[in-house]
Amino acid sequence: MSTVFQRGPVKPEMNMTPLIDVTFLLIVFFMLVSNIVSNERVPMVVPQLEDSKTRELGDIEKVVVSIAPASFSGDARLDAPLDHPGQARYVQLGAGQRFQLTQLPQLTEALRRETQKNPEVEVLLRGDAALYYGQVQPIMDAITAAGVGTVNLVALMPDD
Amino acid sequence: MLEAIAQPEKLDAPREHPPRRRRRPLSGGVGQLNLTAMIDVIFLLLIYFVVTSNFRTDEGVLTATLPQGTGAPREATELPPQKIELRLTAGVVDDTTVAIQQGTTTFVTFAQLRDSLAAQRLDPEAGQPNGLFEPDNPIVIQAGPNVRWQHVVNAFNACLAARYTNISFAKPVS
Repeated sequence: MSTVFQRGPVKPEMNMTPLIDVTFLLIVFFMLVSNIVSNERVPMVVPQLEDSKTRELGDIEKVVVSIAPASFSGDARLDAPLDHPGQARYVQLGAGQRFQLTQLPQLTEALRRETQKNPEVEVLLRGDAALYYGQVQPIMDAITAAGVGTVNLVALMPDD
Repeated sequence: MLEAIAQPEKLDAPREHPPRRRRRPLSGGVGQLNLTAMIDVIFLLLIYFVVTSNFRTDEGVLTATLPQGTGAPREATELPPQKIELRLTAGVVDDTTVAIQQGTTTFVTFAQLRDSLAAQRLDPEAGQPNGLFEPDNPIVIQAGPNVRWQHVVNAFNACLAARYTNISFAKPVS
């Protein structure tokens, strides 16, 4: 029977196919983006401070220098963050560039390229709480050698 | 005759009153929207965001000045400011502990260090006209090579909390 002659009210139907198409597209997009975001966050426990004066860096251009701890054993360490080997495993600049501790001149060079691309960029130094100062200090030197005058040390924000 | 008895009624015999076709309701025929697909997608999105939404943790930053130069003494054309030297030494038995020293004074906690530094600050507006050090007096944090990074950042934070502005890190001292 042709719909023209169908009696009674018309039954509306929604075509969900484009919606599903778009949704899957979004899912794929967010999966890729979240990979990049999580790559930038090297797993570690950042220092917890007494009477912390940390502040939030607003929406500015920043490049994160992460110093990875010897291993990451998850949030179980949060109660005793210092009870962990103090050797650094690698240094990561931004989301993808990894350097061994013997490759600090390359880190300097890569950081110099970043700061030349954008002189306003803020450098964040994100190190694990348990790292030895003797491991961190050469990396601070490498950052200085790239012509960066100030770094932002990452620590936990105080609880409100 | 026998045959007629043995043969029961035909099962598929047409019933006398076939069921009437159900009538459409006369008015108010509401079309049904199939929401299943949309709900599927929405739950998918919900789960996705629930899983991915814990990327940000509550981390903040402390802006610091990096060590400059080679450590060689500068020209003695003017009297250099008396810098405050904070010495951090890791515990011998347990290197997660730290000893905090300013000169010969020893502190147990970083809160003590903060209070002591704040009391030494020259700040007439805050009622401290006799303080020893200007707020921009250099502070050097000298940490041993096996002092944990958390203690170093804590010392830095204590200096900031005592409202000093010129804090730097020295090379590891053993």
